[in-house]
This record gives sequence, C-alpha cells and structure tokens, in this order.
Amino acid sequence: MIQWLHPGFILIFGAFLIPLFRGKWKQGYLLILPAAALIDVILMKMGVFGDIPISTWRLPFLEYELIFGRVDKLSFIFGLIFTLAALIVAIYALNAKSSVEHMSQYIYVGSALGVVFAGDLITLYIFWEIMAIASTLIIWHGGTDKARRAGFRYIMWHVAGGIILLAGIITYIGNTGSVDFNAFNLGSNSVYLPSLLIFIGFIINAAVPPLHAWLPDAYPESTVVGTVFLSIFTTKTAVYALARGFEGFDVLIWLGALMVVYPIFYAVLENDLRRVLCYSLINQVGFMLCGIGIGTALSVNGAISHAFGNILFEGLLFLCVGSVLYRTGPAKCTELGGLYRTMPLTTAFCFVGAASISAFPFFTGFVTKSMVIDATAGLGMAFVFLLLQLASAGVFHHAGIKVPFFAFFAEDANLNARDPPFNMLLSMGIAAVLCIFIGVYPYPLYQILPYPVVFEPYTAPHMIGQLQLLLFASLAFVVLIKSGLYPPEQRKINLDSDWPFRIAGAKFMRFVEGPLMSFAAWMDSNLKKIAADFSAYGEEKEERILIGVSVLLGLLFLASYLIIELIYGWIA
Amino acid sequence: MEIMLSVFVLTALAILGFTAYVLLNFGAKEPRHRYRDLFLAIYGFTLITMVVVGLFAEWHIVFPWQELTAFYAVYGFAACVFLIYFAKGLRLWLPKEEDYYEKKEGM
Repeated sequence: MIQWLHPGFILIFGAFLIPLFRGKWKQGYLLILPAAALIDVILMKMGVFGDIPISTWRLPFLEYELIFGRVDKLSFIFGLIFTLAALIVAIYALNAKSSVEHMSQYIYVGSALGVVFAGDLITLYIFWEIMAIASTLIIWHGGTDKARRAGFRYIMWHVAGGIILLAGIITYIGNTGSVDFNAFNLGSNSVYLPSLLIFIGFIINAAVPPLHAWLPDAYPESTVVGTVFLSIFTTKTAVYALARGFEGFDVLIWLGALMVVYPIFYAVLENDLRRVLCYSLINQVGFMLCGIGIGTALSVNGAISHAFGNILFEGLLFLCVGSVLYRTGPAKCTELGGLYRTMPLTTAFCFVGAASISAFPFFTGFVTKSMVIDATAGLGMAFVFLLLQLASAGVFHHAGIKVPFFAFFAEDANLNARDPPFNMLLSMGIAAVLCIFIGVYPYPLYQILPYPVVFEPYTAPHMIGQLQLLLFASLAFVVLIKSGLYPPEQRKINLDSDWPFRIAGAKFMRFVEGPLMSFAAWMDSNLKKIAADFSAYGEEKEERILIGVSVLLGLLFLASYLIIELIYGWIA
Repeated sequence: MEIMLSVFVLTALAILGFTAYVLLNFGAKEPRHRYRDLFLAIYGFTLITMVVVGLFAEWHIVFPWQELTAFYAVYGFAACVFLIYFAKGLRLWLPKEEDYYEKKEGM
C-alpha cells in the first residue's frame, strides 16, 4: 500500500514515456500526467494518506536521511498551484510537436515540485539543479542562435547561484550537523554565514535586482509555450524556499521594495511585450518577498496568496501574448496593434489578466496584493508603503494598459491574424475564470493559506482608495498621450545589470585572444631560440636525457610534497 | 451598507468606462466606436465620483498624509507621471540598437 505518492515523480518519470506516444494518444498522455499530479496533490489535502502535515519517503544518504515528502500547509498550497498551472499550460501546449520539448517542460515542473516537497537541504539542492538544467533546455528549444546564446548566459547565472547555494548547504551541515530545511535561526553565529550563502542562492533564482538580468534576457527567447512554463516555476520556487527559510528576515523587505520599483521603469521602455511581462514578473515577485520579509501572519499570507494569484494572472498574460506571437510572429509594440478585431477572445482574456494584475476590485490581484500593502501600513512602514503603491500604479501602467493597449488596440497594424486554436483558448479561459472567481470569492483560497486569515478586502475605503489610485494613474496616461508627451515606442533594446558582465567578458576574451596571445607567442619564440642555442652545445641524446631528468626531478619533488602533506594531515 | 452598494456599482462603471474609452478609442485616427463620447463621460464621471465618495468613506488612517482629501487619487496621478518622466530620462542612455550586443561581443 503506497502511503504517499510524490506528484513531482509522476511528472519526471512520466515525461520519459512521452516519446513512445503519437498523435491523439500523445495529446491524451500529455494531459493525463499533470492531471494525475493535480489529483495526487488534492488527495493529500483530503487526508486520505494522513492529515497534513506529514513527512514521508525517507531515504538514507551518506549518514543523513533525505525527506522527499514533507507536506504542510505551505508546501501544499505551492504544490496545488504548481500542478494546477502545469495542467492549464499543458492544455495550451498540446500543439507543440517536439516530444523532447514536452519532456524538458515536465521534468522542469516535476523538479519544481521536488523542491516544494523537499524536507531537507540535500533533496532541495538536487531538485534545484535539475530545475536549472531543465529550464536551460526549455530556453534552447527556442531554436534560434539568440536562444542558444541566451541559454548559455542563463545557465552561467544558475550555476553560479547553485554553487553558492551548495557552499551554504555544506557549511550549514558542517556547522550544525543537521540537514533539515526549516526556518534558519539567523541569531546564531554558526548558522548566520551559511544561511546567508543559501539566501544568496535563493535570491538569484528569485531574480532580485541586480541579480535579475538572466530573466528578461533568457525567458523571451524560448518557444511560445516554454516562456509560459519558465515564467511560472523558477521564481515561485524561490519564493517558496524563502518563505520556508527566511520568513521575517528584514533584508527581504528592502530587497522586495527595490524589486517592485526597479523593473517598472524598464517595463515602460521595453518594446518586446514578453520582456515587458518579464519585468512585471520581477515586480510581482517583489511584493511577495516584501511580504515574506515583514513576517507577520497577514503579510506572509499575502505573499503566499499573491504567489498563488500571480501564477494565474501573470500566466494568463503570458498565454495571451504567446497567442499573439503564435499567430503574428513578432510580439513587439512597434509591430502590433488593432488585433482586438481579429482576436476578440484573446483580447477579452488579456483584459481579465490585465485587470487582475493591476488589482482592480473583483479580480485576483485585489484580494492578494492588498494584504501585503496593508501589512506595511499596519506596521507603520511609510516609505515601503509608498513604494509599493507607486509600484501598483506602475503595474497598472505597463501590464494593465501598455500590454493590452499596444497588442490589441493602438494604431491598427493590419495584421492578418485570428484567435488561436481551441485548446489554447480553453486554457486561457480556465485561467481567466479562476482569476475572476478568486477575485469575487477569495475565501476558499484564504482557507488554505498557512496562517488563519482575518482580512476583508471588500471594504468601502479599501475599494475607493484602490480605484482612485488606478483611475487617476490611467488619467495621467491619457493626459500624457493626448498632449504628445508620452515617449513613443522605439525599436531598441535596453541595457540592464548584466551589461558589465557581458561587455567585460567580451573585452577580456578579446584581450586574451589579442595582446595576451601575441605576448605568449613572442615569449614562445624567444624561449625556442634560447633552447635552440642550448641544444647547439650538445648531442641530441644528451639533450633528451637532460629534459627527462629535470622533468622527473620536478615530478618527484611535487609527489614528495604531496605525500608529506598527506601524512602530516593524517597525523594531525 | 449603501456606500458599499454604490462602490460596487461605481467599480463596475469605472472598469467599463476605462476599458471602453482608453483601450477602444485611444490611438485610432477616426472614432472606433459610436458610443465613444458616452464611454468618455462614464470615465470622467467615475473619476469625479470616486473623489466625492472618498470624502464620505471612513478611512482607516495610519499615516498623517492619508488624511489629505483624495490622497490616493493625487498619489496615483503623481506616481504615473513620475514613472513616465523618469523612464523618459532613462531613455537618454539605456536604449541601444537591437544588435548592440552582437557588435560589442564581436559575434
């Protein structure tokens, strides 16, 4: 009798069988996998396999015990939304032909679930790295030369982050003797430095500026579906890990505040709609980190519910822009416009996503984000409160107005397009219905949050304040466009924090290839000349013996040094 | 309770007016919709009523500046103007040609 089945394993091992199926069978199988994982997660809640929290699937590893299945309220809610999102995007992805692409996507989702249910740091690290590799493969499936190079830059960031994480985990285990993944006790000296390393590993995956450049750089280079998958899992897994380990770590408040404000300016400038959404994703994760950093029951609930809602509405926006991309080719503001006539359903869904992310009343963002903002007000953090409100107006500007406006309205670009195939519409429709449902009736979501919720979003001042903020922000947009002061969209890319690395990297390689190599060649030819002069003094045979003896002596010296070191180390 | 009901109705109106006016009729050379002026009126009406209704709401005040009349309206407008102007300023040095990195990296 199986007590508990890991939903991540369903997806990871199920993924390897995808190439065996063809046609309709394959499409069915592609839906069964995430559906099975979703049912698996729901059954955990029903308590068939014991009441949550449970911890199961313990495996011995070295002298430790790995826990693959730790289910409590926090991991349950992330498991639920991850499998739900996987099912929605799987419906959307049915048109994609490549089995390998589907495989890498499902392994990616499975490993994200592995991180969520991991009860110890070693298991966490294993799935963390599988996730990094699988996501790189998803980027490479973009198939272009740009995608290939963006994938390499992406994996560089994540290998660096992974190594820092591993260093943190090893020193943590060394200092405490425990592999458990729980809230880190930052007060203790022996834990502080290791957990700080782990923290840095986590925030690289959460895309905290200035460590965020990999996200808008690499995500839009993937395929239509790939970008949607990527936008959901990596950052939210990091949010989960931070919520588990660093709840109430006040650095997160300021990182979160930086993170909500920094990308909104880029989102104004950016021309590529998928990049606009990537910046808006960073901004949204900022609200979550802020809530986790504050660490009160209200703010953490807000952060987790915002992660839940964000997966739905940010995912929905990515799905809509993906549909535009699927039908028209480009997804750039300068090349789109007037699609509301030819893609009416996509326009409607995009509007639901835009209203949700801007936190209009009756839509998801309103019932989730306001918890975090209320928490900052409740604690009297005036500056953070104002920054979050500024960012809310910013989100409304770029995700609420810019994305739908430039894609579906604006100047008609006379593009020949129509709504995408039925399965894509269905998946967008499910996401849109959920966005409205949670916005109108958030109580089922509030029930599964980690802490008991005492929060009522629908009060008169709350709604009036939010509507004043949003409507007058839109008025600013209207006034600026009417008076011609609004900066026009440009066919340009924008420099971001990876600029120094990319330029310095290229400059260094050119230095190595140019000056350094010619210096080496010059040294080389001189040495050869000297050697030739020497060899002129002796017979060929003696020369060979000379070289042989010197190399042998050198090696012996090195070896003895190593042996002495070893013995010394052994004795001491 | 009456104030809640009126806020619900106003919210629906605001969403309708804003969507229909800003999204449908903006950026087009000729009017796209025959009810364009009606939508504009709804949009303007909600803007004004939101401020008026705000005067009667019982605000939950934490910071002194929240007592200002229509604080959120002023802040929302100012935030959006600041955002766009700041971004306009960044435009002086952030944007580069689309093949900028290809040239710089020598690939």
